[in-house]
Amino acid sequence: MDEAIRVESLTKSYRGFTAVDDISFNVNRGEIFGILGPNGAGKTTTLEILEGIQKPDSGIVDIFNLSIHKNSRQIKSRIGVQLQSSAYYEYLNLLEVLSLLASFYPSSVRSDPKLLLDKVDLVSQSTQRVNTLSGGEKQRFTIAASLINTPEIIILDEPTTGLDPRARRNIWKLIQEIHNAGITVIMTTHYMEEAEELCQRLAIMDKGKLVAVDTPAKLRGTLEYKYSVKIIVDSPLKQEQLNSLHSLDALIEMKSENTYIIKLKHDTKSLDKLLNDIVQDEISLVHLEIAPVTLEDVFLELTGNELQEN
Amino acid sequence: MLPLTITNIKLMIRNRHSTFWALFFPLLLVIVFGLFQIGNFSGATISVINNSDAAASNKLLTELSANKFFVVNTIQTRETGESQLAAGSIEYLLTIPKEFNGTSEKSVSLIYTDKDTQQNEFTLITLSRLLNTESSQNTPQSFIQTTEIPIPESSYFDHVLLGLVGLGIMTNSIISIAVKISNYRNQSVLKRILVTPLPIWKFFAAEVIAHLLLAMVQAIIILSVGILVFGADIKGNPIWLMTIVLLGSLVFLNIGFIMSAWTNSPSAASGMGNAIALPMIFFAGTFFSTTSLPWIMPVIAEAIPLTPMLSALREIGINNSPIQSVLPEIATLGAWVVATSAIAIKVFRFN
Repeated sequence: MDEAIRVESLTKSYRGFTAVDDISFNVNRGEIFGILGPNGAGKTTTLEILEGIQKPDSGIVDIFNLSIHKNSRQIKSRIGVQLQSSAYYEYLNLLEVLSLLASFYPSSVRSDPKLLLDKVDLVSQSTQRVNTLSGGEKQRFTIAASLINTPEIIILDEPTTGLDPRARRNIWKLIQEIHNAGITVIMTTHYMEEAEELCQRLAIMDKGKLVAVDTPAKLRGTLEYKYSVKIIVDSPLKQEQLNSLHSLDALIEMKSENTYIIKLKHDTKSLDKLLNDIVQDEISLVHLEIAPVTLEDVFLELTGNELQEN
Repeated sequence: MLPLTITNIKLMIRNRHSTFWALFFPLLLVIVFGLFQIGNFSGATISVINNSDAAASNKLLTELSANKFFVVNTIQTRETGESQLAAGSIEYLLTIPKEFNGTSEKSVSLIYTDKDTQQNEFTLITLSRLLNTESSQNTPQSFIQTTEIPIPESSYFDHVLLGLVGLGIMTNSIISIAVKISNYRNQSVLKRILVTPLPIWKFFAAEVIAHLLLAMVQAIIILSVGILVFGADIKGNPIWLMTIVLLGSLVFLNIGFIMSAWTNSPSAASGMGNAIALPMIFFAGTFFSTTSLPWIMPVIAEAIPLTPMLSALREIGINNSPIQSVLPEIATLGAWVVATSAIAIKVFRFN
């Protein structure tokens, strides 16, 4: 597949702290590529190097087969950037901000600010100032601003952080629309479900290192366990009941006195057997939850840490 | 760059409070100094040289001091009085001769300027009454030897007014740019600009052009109020005055950019800006002459950028000198522009 971004052996340190530690990955044209990791994993630093804001200590960063540091202006004309936290001129309205940003780009690539506001459903607020928008509206506006130069690649840094579930879903829909228009998307997130929903390929980062890069399905496939069953019982399981469950070749974790997580190695047959055992062993259930393993499990397996708790 | 420059001007206009106070602060000082000067019109500032020991002279001095129309101070020499007149710090110089007896014709001499003829007439009448000439048929001039001299070349207010132009430009340039850029950095506005292909020099140029325009407007307002409302006598070529204003503003904007790089918050930028600007106001002789400063202070006064700016403004504005006459000051300001630009480019950071 045609390569949009190539990163090789990228390293960046700040005063002795290695924020990005020898990472390599590539992003294909037309895909949504996610970088998943907890806060402080090095995701934003990686993006800022791609955006040309920061210089790496070592490594190669090519976008459209051009070095970002030698062709910074040329590349900046062809990429759109939504920063993790970004304000706009306080005394300008939405239309004026977009018009000003458009003036920074060659006229051949400028988008119509009104059409962009229409695309993100903010036409009625076009004469309002950015600080009057809600969190979701502001994020939609920042994404619209990142599209002002009709970019071939759009870089989104945690586009849904701090948003309520409904606003988050609206942003997901918008990102899908951008992707459907043929734009390559590279985004960071620390939300597992966001990565699952949007990303075709994922890089998992932790403590500056890249621990895995693949499709979400393949990443889940690397796990020994396929299903996670959570049961809450009315009284702690007896030893004979636990022995019976262990015979399923399952990993059993006791989360609290009456809550157990049973990880099943095999397919649906072991799931059937588990349910039978629960009935036969007269395990009195209060709650039963069955789910395939998630990226959260992958992250836990790869790093030893829970993604959300970070 | 033009849209960004226009945007910067638009932002200044829309940020009414900040712009108003930036303009109003030096204007407030103009009004204060102007009102002090206007206050003098309600009475006459008079220096008296009393060469007589006679009781009549003491009586005249007492009555003169008791008269609310006069603000009296006693001096010893004619030279002192004449220099006070020339500087505009007094309006009348009264000399009481040794042989004064209160009745003799042409008994006292009064020197004054032709600045305010109405006040001069009133002063003469009041003085002649004190000399008990009111019952006489003679005019006051018969009893008072008068000498009218042309208006002094410059007054203290003219001097201060041009100082206030420099003060306004300096404080506004240093503090407003330092706070603004610091704010932009904290809010990631600078970072947002950095991810676009806009060349960095265009960002700086747009900021500088907008602030230079504001500096010109500020100088025009201060000078207009000083001249039209408080009667300042500024007669230099406005184009040369504006040239100095722009050159000085450029230096102070660069200092503002440097301040913004050295501080992490807008309040720190404001504090540091004030710490730089306030001493400069006094060392550069904005309000008072710095020639009597002790120790190394005069050297410091000469080294700071506000000094050549004020010196050039006063030379052009008060003495109506051509631009060539202030080439040393322009060269000094030019050197400051180069030096501060180099430092600003070196230390400025977007993140």
